[in-house]
Amino acid sequence: MNVRRSIVWVILTLAAGLAAAQKMPWETNDGQSDAKQFVKFLYPEQVSVTANHDSVVELHFKVNPGLHINSHTPHEKSFIPTQLLVAEPSGVTVGPVDFPAGEDFSLAIEPNEKLSVYTGEFVVRAHVKAKTGEHLIQAELRYQACDATSCFPPRKAPVTVDIVAR
Amino acid sequence: MKRNHLVIVVLLITLGLMAWAGVTNYRRRKQEQAFAKDKLVMLTARSAPAPAGEADAPFKNPLADKQAPAFTLKDTTGKNVSLADYKGKAVVLDFWATWCAPCKIEIPWLTQLHDQYASQGLVVLGISEDDLDLDDKAALLKQKQEIADSAMKLHINYPVLIDDKEVSKPYGGIDALPTTFYVDRNGKVIAATIGLADRDEIEANIKKALGSGEQAQKGAS
Repeated sequence: MNVRRSIVWVILTLAAGLAAAQKMPWETNDGQSDAKQFVKFLYPEQVSVTANHDSVVELHFKVNPGLHINSHTPHEKSFIPTQLLVAEPSGVTVGPVDFPAGEDFSLAIEPNEKLSVYTGEFVVRAHVKAKTGEHLIQAELRYQACDATSCFPPRKAPVTVDIVAR
Repeated sequence: MKRNHLVIVVLLITLGLMAWAGVTNYRRRKQEQAFAKDKLVMLTARSAPAPAGEADAPFKNPLADKQAPAFTLKDTTGKNVSLADYKGKAVVLDFWATWCAPCKIEIPWLTQLHDQYASQGLVVLGISEDDLDLDDKAALLKQKQEIADSAMKLHINYPVLIDDKEVSKPYGGIDALPTTFYVDRNGKVIAATIGLADRDEIEANIKKALGSGEQAQKGAS
């Protein structure tokens, strides 16, 4: 009886483990969960465009309060620019991308040293051309964030947009 | 009895199906990841050419009153530098990066303080946390040169070491820069700061590090 119970327990434990494995731990975006992101992609989740025509998709992002990220064109060469990395599915071409101009920002201790940054909400305009159908575009916004006294290693904010071309 | 056997068989079949689904999903995702990586393109601006949570968390020194983890790293000239080389000295470990603006404010202070207190036994070591492409020799060489150039531009007068990411781990992971550890003459971490510190605070920590572990200094002389 005890042996049979033990077998059932082992099977149930295995089942629980396998059920947990269905969550796919390798889907965790290299440890960069939302809680670890300093920039979030806001919208759109889905956009309709005219098939085989140049269209512009406006991607809206938000930098967490109290932080700034380098613009696409930082004033200093060694600073890491904000970039959009796109995996193009077949049937869609993406590019070029228009980034907004950065705003000047200075650390309190060095008011004369100007940084070119994004804060709050900003919009990146991606030029898209898609064949008829539905296409899932997966991209990443690579950025490097700082607050008033510290800087954080570069990160990638996930961006997913469903392009419906008619 | 027969019913129990049937339950076990059904459970085993279910387990088998779940395992199969997991493996299949894993393979499919791996393929998709490989495909996405191949097709990854970096988009640049159309007109202007490109020149070049945790934030709120209070900092807790992960090594307070502990021995500073040992390491050996190469400096910007390719020479091996070990923490153990500085036994009996007070050591400031400054984790920084070329892309870190607040680090560049602190570095001139560290340079001055290094000059000021070197005769009393102070050593400053800058540890670069810049990303390195370890799989691409040409890129790696270029990245190391950029760190050396940046150090020269900042007039750094102390050794600049290049972290292979194995050193930052025992020092708590280094989530933000600059992060600075102050090690006394006995090799114990007596203070640490994260983010841009006040110059007076840096100097006070240096004095504390120089003043602690005097026994080690006496023993060494």
